[in-house]
Amino acid sequence: MKRGNFLLGAVSGLAVVASTEHLFARALAQAPLPGLPGGENRVLVLINLQGGNDGLNCIVPHGDAAYYQVRPNLAIPRNDVLGLDAHVGMNPQMRSLKAMYDAGLVAVVQGVGYPKPNHSHFRSTEIWQTAAPDTYEHTGWLGRYLDDAQLPKGLFNGVSLSPVLPEVLVAERNDVPAIAQLAGYGLYSDRNAVTRTALTRLVHDGRMPFSSPYLSHIAEVESDAQRGSQELPALVRGYKTDASYPATPLGRSLALAAQMIGSANVGTRVIYIPHGSFDTHVSQKGTQDRLLGQFSDAMKAFYEDLAAHGNDKRVLTMTFSEFGRRIAQNASAGTDHGEASPLFLIGGGVKGGLYGNYPNLDINANMGNLAYTTDFRSVYATVLERWLGRPSEAILRGRYPTMGAISG
Amino acid sequence: MVSGLLRPAGHLDLTSALAPYGGPWNERQAAHLLRRAGFGASPAMIRDAAALSMNDAVTTLLRMPPADQAGRPEIADVREAIVQARMQYGKNGSNDPVALKAAIQGLRRQEFRSILGMQLWWLNRMLNTPAPLQEKMTFLLSGHFTTAALQKGVTPEMVFNQNQLFRRYALGNLHDLTLAVSRDPAMLIYLDNARSAKQHPNENYARELMELFTLGIGNYSEEDVRQSARAFTGWSVDYRSGQFLYRRFIHDNGSKMFLGQTGNFDGTDIVRIIYDQPACARQWASTLLNSFVYNNPEPQLIDALAAELRRHRYELAPVMSTLLRSNVFHSSRAYRSLVKSPVEFVVGSYAALGLSTIDMRALGALRQMGQVLFYPPNVAGWPPGSNWVTSEMLIARENFLAGLVNSPLMRQSTWMGQIPMRADGATKMLVDELLGGDASALSYAQLSQYLDGASKAALGGLSPENYETRVRGGAYLTMAMPAYQLA
Repeated sequence: MKRGNFLLGAVSGLAVVASTEHLFARALAQAPLPGLPGGENRVLVLINLQGGNDGLNCIVPHGDAAYYQVRPNLAIPRNDVLGLDAHVGMNPQMRSLKAMYDAGLVAVVQGVGYPKPNHSHFRSTEIWQTAAPDTYEHTGWLGRYLDDAQLPKGLFNGVSLSPVLPEVLVAERNDVPAIAQLAGYGLYSDRNAVTRTALTRLVHDGRMPFSSPYLSHIAEVESDAQRGSQELPALVRGYKTDASYPATPLGRSLALAAQMIGSANVGTRVIYIPHGSFDTHVSQKGTQDRLLGQFSDAMKAFYEDLAAHGNDKRVLTMTFSEFGRRIAQNASAGTDHGEASPLFLIGGGVKGGLYGNYPNLDINANMGNLAYTTDFRSVYATVLERWLGRPSEAILRGRYPTMGAISG
Repeated sequence: MVSGLLRPAGHLDLTSALAPYGGPWNERQAAHLLRRAGFGASPAMIRDAAALSMNDAVTTLLRMPPADQAGRPEIADVREAIVQARMQYGKNGSNDPVALKAAIQGLRRQEFRSILGMQLWWLNRMLNTPAPLQEKMTFLLSGHFTTAALQKGVTPEMVFNQNQLFRRYALGNLHDLTLAVSRDPAMLIYLDNARSAKQHPNENYARELMELFTLGIGNYSEEDVRQSARAFTGWSVDYRSGQFLYRRFIHDNGSKMFLGQTGNFDGTDIVRIIYDQPACARQWASTLLNSFVYNNPEPQLIDALAAELRRHRYELAPVMSTLLRSNVFHSSRAYRSLVKSPVEFVVGSYAALGLSTIDMRALGALRQMGQVLFYPPNVAGWPPGSNWVTSEMLIARENFLAGLVNSPLMRQSTWMGQIPMRADGATKMLVDELLGGDASALSYAQLSQYLDGASKAALGGLSPENYETRVRGGAYLTMAMPAYQLA
């Protein structure tokens, strides 16, 4: 959603659709910020491993005997782990991602979390998405980035490939579309040419017999929605690919992401994709292995597709999950809601390798949970400053040290 | 201020804002009253209200029937069945974890279906109630004193009981309501007070009580949170009966210092001290103005309504009576100044189309629009104002309308069959009945052209053959206009 133009609408009284174009023109005229890399044409793909990905069976501490003690049925045998070093390695289902890691394209940041962790899916997801552990924010950190980024005006600067807009992309001045599938994005009434034309005209209405502070904004967003859902299929139609994506929801979403990134005039900078549910309280192994395998295989196809079109260097993929899970397994061969977990940075700009501290598996140290050692806002600050080229302090409501995982 | 709330242009005349309105009273004004004090209305109900005086129309709305006249949806209670399943398949039974899991999942699904049934029951209640303001207040309170169904062990029965609590206090006393909410099992579980003990007080409820329910941030300290959490220890739930239970052995009987007062306080004292704070009245005044009049109201207007609240010792009935009869409520600044929430949009659409049943499609539509009854997104409730205006939420709204106007349900409509078979007459009727005439001359012309088939010469004028399709299409287009999004 965007709210910047409301003020104009509210002052002018009658509903006149205020344009933000001149605001953008003014913003573009401002000098670039000193000391920050450019960020032109760079894309961030954010993948939400939703439900709480168990970090210990994702990046496995195979060198720590305690891991095998606290997870008698759930631990992954040492010989199966795809070792990254003597301490940790990847889940055996992630062969494709391991190959990308070996090629230097993957950074693993361990022990990511935040102070006073919340164990509710909902609240913790909200905390990660708004980057606000202590307050209730109505905008997401990438929504604030879009508001701040001085991008050329476009309908698809930020896109969520999901049925509902996630909080992370809620902005003050940008209306981000949520597109579950290209086929289903749009107004039913647009299928009829007569209603489509009539609606377009009615939305662009003239002077109304009343005033309302919201009217011009609604008209503009409705018009965006109508235009966007008509334009996008045409914009991406010319994109051809030989990449073979896995036939999974994530595979389909990433195929569409590559198509949008690789099509001229779409202009997408930020894409959000949900994956999972990783909420493995019961019989964890089958579910988590399958989801991690899907993620790993889809990443391989995605970066092959991007590379074939010369786009791989300008696309950074980052994962997150609202929390990790308990150190010890529970009684139903699963794990309960926990705290810190690792995340991945993949592709463009990444300095591959392991970052952050190895997990401390002492179940008495933090009430059975993994204490965080890297604040997630440090990772966000790194992505904002070193990849997207924006100062992070205003967006994150505070200063957080950046990391070396992105070379910029 | 919550983001996304916009104040209308123009200036407030504070001296007359809360004084009784004596201006024109017509169908347009009556429709405004029924959108705000209810969920919109059928054309016939709007005409009936307009035929009364404004005072009588408000008096009618202020009548609150007993809450139990609302009837009762079917409510699943699976707690006993879960105990049985554990005995049958658990370690002391056949020790069959697969069967146990299947049995419990089946029972949980039954609970969830029960919540869906309650949602449908409530939506129909909103549509057909003789007391729309009672349901409107119940709805607003459910987004204010937030509790999410089926989380942490909140049962369907508890959800329904809480809903009835809000209905009972719809125009009751806010202090008494807050005390009742503080002892409400669904709330005590949702915000973790049920498990709060003197050894480890849980601050969740104590914090939200002040931050979101009464005082607002900045009107208390972190120490007040800690001290009041101690006072609420032992306010718990008997999980077998699902009723409030005071567990005196885990209550902290020590002395607490809260908002400048010292004593061996319990929850009752905490609520009393909160309602003695001027900030509490201001917070409620702001909530009422934002919900019924316009968003981001002027501080002076908040102060004026807060004074009314204190004068009436937080009794809602006289305060709402003043507000709904006031100049500011009936002003052109308040008119169409709020964005309809999805529930208002959906229920109001069935009402405006003259339908008397809300069907299952409403549940799916509300999920896509981002407002599921009994499932607020978080403890802060549904974000208001322009937060509802996003591409996909508007697409969801329009697609819901497209589905509704083309459904067989439309045959029930009390008035659509009376639409004249002339494009100009049909246009006027659609815009009058669905939009209160709130369309520009340009829109009238566009809509008339659509109905007449003039947008494509080959389609020809409105005729018996194309009448139903065109009228349904016309109703859709009228409701798809941006003005229809506004309450």
